[in-house]
Amino acid sequence: MIKDAWTFKPFSAAPIALMDEQGNWVADFPLELPPDFLRGLYRDMLAARLLDEKFVILIRTGKTSFIAPHAGHEAAHVGIAHAMQRGHDWLFPYYRDMGLMVAMGMPFKEIFGQMLGNAADPAKGRQMPSHPGSRALNIFTVCSAIASHIPPAAGAAVSMKLKGTGQVSVCTFGDGATSEGDWYAGLNFAAVQGAPAVFACLNNRYAISVDLSHQTAAHSIADKAHAFGIPGYRVDGMDALASYFVMREVIERARSGHGPALVELEVYRYGPHSSADDDLRYRPKEEVEAAKKRDPIERFRRLLEKQGLWNLEWEERLRADLKARIDRALEEAEAMGEVPALAMFDDVFAEPTWNLIEQRALVQEELR
Amino acid sequence: MIQAINAALDEEMARDARVMVLGEDVGKRGGVFLATEGLQQKYGPDRVMDTPLSEAAIIGAAVGMAAHGMRPVAEIQFADYVFPGFDQLVSQAAKLRYRSGGQFTAPMVVRMPSGGGVRGGHHHSQSPEAHFAHTGGLKTIVVSTPYDTKGLLKSAIRDDDPVIFMEPKRLYRALKEEVPSEEYLIPIGKAAVRREGSDISLISYGGSMIETQKAAEELASVGISAEVIDLRTVMPWDKEAVLNSVAKTGRVLVISEAPRTASIASEVAATIAEELLDQLEAPPLRVTGFDTPYPYAQDKLYMPTVTRILNAAKRALDY
Ligand SMILES: Cc1ncc(C[n+]2csc(CCOP(=O)(O)OP(=O)(O)O)c2C)c(N)n1
Repeated sequence: MIKDAWTFKPFSAAPIALMDEQGNWVADFPLELPPDFLRGLYRDMLAARLLDEKFVILIRTGKTSFIAPHAGHEAAHVGIAHAMQRGHDWLFPYYRDMGLMVAMGMPFKEIFGQMLGNAADPAKGRQMPSHPGSRALNIFTVCSAIASHIPPAAGAAVSMKLKGTGQVSVCTFGDGATSEGDWYAGLNFAAVQGAPAVFACLNNRYAISVDLSHQTAAHSIADKAHAFGIPGYRVDGMDALASYFVMREVIERARSGHGPALVELEVYRYGPHSSADDDLRYRPKEEVEAAKKRDPIERFRRLLEKQGLWNLEWEERLRADLKARIDRALEEAEAMGEVPALAMFDDVFAEPTWNLIEQRALVQEELR
Repeated sequence: MIQAINAALDEEMARDARVMVLGEDVGKRGGVFLATEGLQQKYGPDRVMDTPLSEAAIIGAAVGMAAHGMRPVAEIQFADYVFPGFDQLVSQAAKLRYRSGGQFTAPMVVRMPSGGGVRGGHHHSQSPEAHFAHTGGLKTIVVSTPYDTKGLLKSAIRDDDPVIFMEPKRLYRALKEEVPSEEYLIPIGKAAVRREGSDISLISYGGSMIETQKAAEELASVGISAEVIDLRTVMPWDKEAVLNSVAKTGRVLVISEAPRTASIASEVAATIAEELLDQLEAPPLRVTGFDTPYPYAQDKLYMPTVTRILNAAKRALDY
């Protein structure tokens, strides 16, 4: 079915929002999503938030060396994940997407294994923490080098088109990433090819300390889509349902052969850029506090309550259950222990070359 | 070392109005390692410029600024992120003087924190100096002490060619040393003898100077006299100082945490073999990082350990 009439108009002056801050549904179409689906969105957002809180404990107790707080991004995360055909479509995420990992169905134990860099990490502790990935879930491994994953996301989309797999390549990044050459190169290529790719910018208005006015003189990130000849959407990324419905539409659009889209999800990062950052150096506390008043989880809770899908008892059971699962997964991950030292020589190539064999032997001797 | 960088930038900006700083987070934040702290307050946002997140733009724009008469000092947040700007370094900065027959030049400095040991995984731990050394037209410095950092950075800023200035990040706050507040310069291209010795030469630079000096102490405790040389500049490296030392000791290790193959260590060892074969008592040995990407879980094991240096020294001495 090729659809030509779409619900959302690109290049809107204001961000697309479907519920107000009190949780009232304000869209001009009815909210016809199953109750379990809506509760699932809430559960994933809450899980993401609890995970973020756990990471702070991991860093304080020295169990991990780096975290990139994602609190404030949860609505965008669940919107993106649930709009995808998880396990079929491919995701090209970046380091602040831990809530997205949760919503994509990555087991907590693997997430913690990656955070600890230990044997519970499917990637064998090769990368710094907050750099997950999963071949099993079609989640491309996160790379620290900003925007370097965007041309590969475009390439995967081209492959999907050539092979006619019916998949879509979804790629996320921050506003800072839109300044890199790789961003322009990747979007342009995908657009020229009409490939099934969706580019989602989680615009939290800062790239470390540098605010949006230093990244672009454009009115919005979404506006930049004009340059590639693709639609650009501005979305309230603190609104889980706006994030979900817009992403669903552009993914469907890409899947049905209409090519890429750029979606700008306006979010806010409550925490510092990373565990190595002091955000008070560049933004006022009041700004952060004001953003917290617009909390995406609280806003969605109000909507659920208005729909008769939420009560305190359910909330408490849900929280207790998630906390227990998170704690148990951490314990299980910790119990897996260190990655063997010599594993550092594996996976450089499919077959090790003589230099790696020699170097491995040297370390083996040294460890004896 | 961080204070030494800050002082060098401050002094040069005060001395010469053409000197300016640009990069990601260098202004309001003062740099993620705080190397540029306070400079924007003092010199304003035009001379301490927060840029878009684009290394190609930072390095490429610095070339244009330099060609037009400024003295830009660009900060790349981590050496690992120079690669999006590599085309600008290799195609523009390095070759501008040559390809224009000397009509245009790019007197600029590109500063970058490099090396491992801070649990940063491969994209916050690499030592890419060989890429620069392999590109004709770039000078490359890798510092190891706060004193040198200030003197060499000032020289780099005054140099009439593009200079890569690498700062091993594990040394940023690890070393304390009195750095004179008055003006001094350290020449580019000159090594330092950190310790005199007669039995074996240990040639190193940057972060690995720590383990190299520890190894020399251990050797001394068992009666072996090691001479320790810090290259400081890896391109052009101080061939004379190295050959003089090896001619005296007859044995040599070249130590660096960069990957082994096609490295600075390879270059130094090959030159020694070419020029001093008759005077060598043992083959020149390299003690280096490995030809794998830098692994997160084995952060400490990747870099040349004191044990690895001592084992190599034993091999050279027993040869
Ligand atoms: C090529 C490159 N340059 C610099 C960095 C250092 N760095 C890491 S995160 C970051 C800011 C990214 O901001 P943004 O893309 O807006 O994402 P956010 O962190 O705000 O979610 C920078 C400069 C990097 N990782 N890669």
